[in-house]
Amino acid sequence: MAEPDSIDTLRAQLAEHAYLADRGLATVLTLALALEKPVLLEGEAGVGKTEAAKALALVTGGRLIRLQCYEGIDVAHALYDWNHARQLLYIRTLEAAEALEPTRTLHDLFGREFLEARPLLQAIEHDDAIPPVLLIDEIDRADDEFEAFLLELLSDFQVTIPEIGTVRAKHRPRVVLTSNRTRDLHDALKRRCLYHWIGHPDTDREVAIVRARVPGVPERLAVEAATFVASLRDLDLAKVPGVAETIDWIQALVALGQAELDAAVVDATLGTVLKHHEDIELVRDGRLPKLIAHAREA
Amino acid sequence: MPAPGDVVLERMVGFGRVLRAAGLEVGPGRLQDALRGLDVVGLARRDDVYHTLRATLVARREEMDAFDAAFAAYWEEAPGMPQPDVGIEVPRLEPSAPPPVPAHEPDGGGDESGEESTTVLAASPDERLRQRDFADMTVAELRRLRRLMERLPDTTPKRRSRRLRAGTSGDVLDARQTLRRAIRTQGLPFDPAFRRRKQVPRKLVFLCDVSGSMEPYARAIVMFLQAVTVTGRRVEAFAFGTRITRLTPHLKKLDPARALAGAGGLMPDWGGGTRIGDSLRRYNDVWGRRGLTRGAVVVIVSDGWERGDLTLLDAELARISRQAHRLVWVNPLKGHDGFAPLAGGMRIALRHADVFVEGHNLVALEALADVLSERSLVRAAGQGRPKMGSAPDRA
Repeated sequence: MAEPDSIDTLRAQLAEHAYLADRGLATVLTLALALEKPVLLEGEAGVGKTEAAKALALVTGGRLIRLQCYEGIDVAHALYDWNHARQLLYIRTLEAAEALEPTRTLHDLFGREFLEARPLLQAIEHDDAIPPVLLIDEIDRADDEFEAFLLELLSDFQVTIPEIGTVRAKHRPRVVLTSNRTRDLHDALKRRCLYHWIGHPDTDREVAIVRARVPGVPERLAVEAATFVASLRDLDLAKVPGVAETIDWIQALVALGQAELDAAVVDATLGTVLKHHEDIELVRDGRLPKLIAHAREA
Repeated sequence: MPAPGDVVLERMVGFGRVLRAAGLEVGPGRLQDALRGLDVVGLARRDDVYHTLRATLVARREEMDAFDAAFAAYWEEAPGMPQPDVGIEVPRLEPSAPPPVPAHEPDGGGDESGEESTTVLAASPDERLRQRDFADMTVAELRRLRRLMERLPDTTPKRRSRRLRAGTSGDVLDARQTLRRAIRTQGLPFDPAFRRRKQVPRKLVFLCDVSGSMEPYARAIVMFLQAVTVTGRRVEAFAFGTRITRLTPHLKKLDPARALAGAGGLMPDWGGGTRIGDSLRRYNDVWGRRGLTRGAVVVIVSDGWERGDLTLLDAELARISRQAHRLVWVNPLKGHDGFAPLAGGMRIALRHADVFVEGHNLVALEALADVLSERSLVRAAGQGRPKMGSAPDRA
């Protein structure tokens, strides 16, 4: 079982799909594949939690099934729902044909063809040769009841639909959960998962990420922008920019035809990196020339 | 020499013990995951072993420092065979560690002024205690206070949730139920079913000043929070002086003495100076940014004596008030005769707080409970969002 180079292999495969994981994350994802356990990724916004799941799907060749969580999400949104319009139409058709028999009709109405599979059911009853990657995004936004339900689902990968019966996964999907930590998740859920905290990358890796994600970016620009963002992270900001913001910014700079940073353009595009008025004011307030000079020395 | 696998197993069991001593929850299941993980990545590289153990044995960010310390101490310094309990100093993980309570202290006794004051107070009714300033209370009185607090009125602020529940009338058509009923009526939906939005508790966030001037009140506020927590309400609580600490895990302890001891042990600046602005910034950066403040009722308990930068306090309060549903400021000193909100910090607080109440005795805290549950709003209906002074007057 032990393959000494499996971590490096996965890391290289992720890199082929423009996702540059550090060794820690690569280790955890390797373990997730080997042990068939869900991974819980936490970290600041924009550090690439969701992207990690997407990249994992690309590497394994599995389909990506995404469930975006939000407050009030329930079984009808996450697991399955009945196609009411079709059911109603079916009743009317039977009625027109004078074939309506209440008991039988009820049985037919709640058959598989009227069931609409939502992401969780899709992930469980998949028929793919390669197990899909189930991304449960921002689980911290869902409420406690949903978390408890999810816990059950993640332990045996089967669900019982009263009208149909129990559906069991033939091959367990790979599961990636992400959380922004707006609230503490239940310990029981965490115990089911491998846990990894994704931090901001160092400047070298950020440059590499940017160059992988924005093809054709001038190297000089990537280095300067990454250095600039790195020094922004040392400032006292309300919202620290993540890698996602760096990428957005560099795309903007590339679109504007920049080969390196200059004060006027940085000033004009600051809003793609910093998303709070106070943060922009703080940076504009006399710091900008110094930050740019520092970035250009890099 | 035993087989290599046995050595690893033995060492891992020892490591589990060290982690548990450091306050992490490491059960046999997690250890087994860790061992399986090591099987996959091998033992050749330190960082792989580190990441494997961290991913399998750590469940939250707060545990990472304790884990790192334990990892370094156990795997890198402890020599040779497993010696889990020998000489490894691991910092305890504070939030979930049991508080340092002296083992010999029996319930209800052992405090300095306990006996004397109990005798004096035995004759005095609860009513007098309710109106007594927290600052003048003895430890025994505080303990009695705890029992009175169990009878506090419901403090739950409510909001409409996106979650739906069934009802005969409501906001959203329940298609599934409607259809089931329609079968009885030849497929015609004569009897539509609805779902309506549920009322759910609002988040409640307490930020308590525990610096020197606030010390007598801070203890009572912690009790108040406990009383609220025990009723099953979710409260997030933080204590600040020169820095801010999350208090929530300690509130769950049923024994108030233990929680108080835990909370006291948690905060080195209990009785130190106050840097309100700094502390609020830290709160905003760490917890507020993740969305704790959004839509919550935020209660700040402080006398507003800011030793730090007033502009910072202004900015951080503005951040909170922009995101919170309501910002309530509790100032225990407000209840004192001749108080005027002159402390520099207090003047700024007045600008941002929606409600400004006192908090020096139980009567005042009962009024606070009223404010939190928004019962007082119902009474003051029609006056829009309450600003300062809408809190019930002191009895």
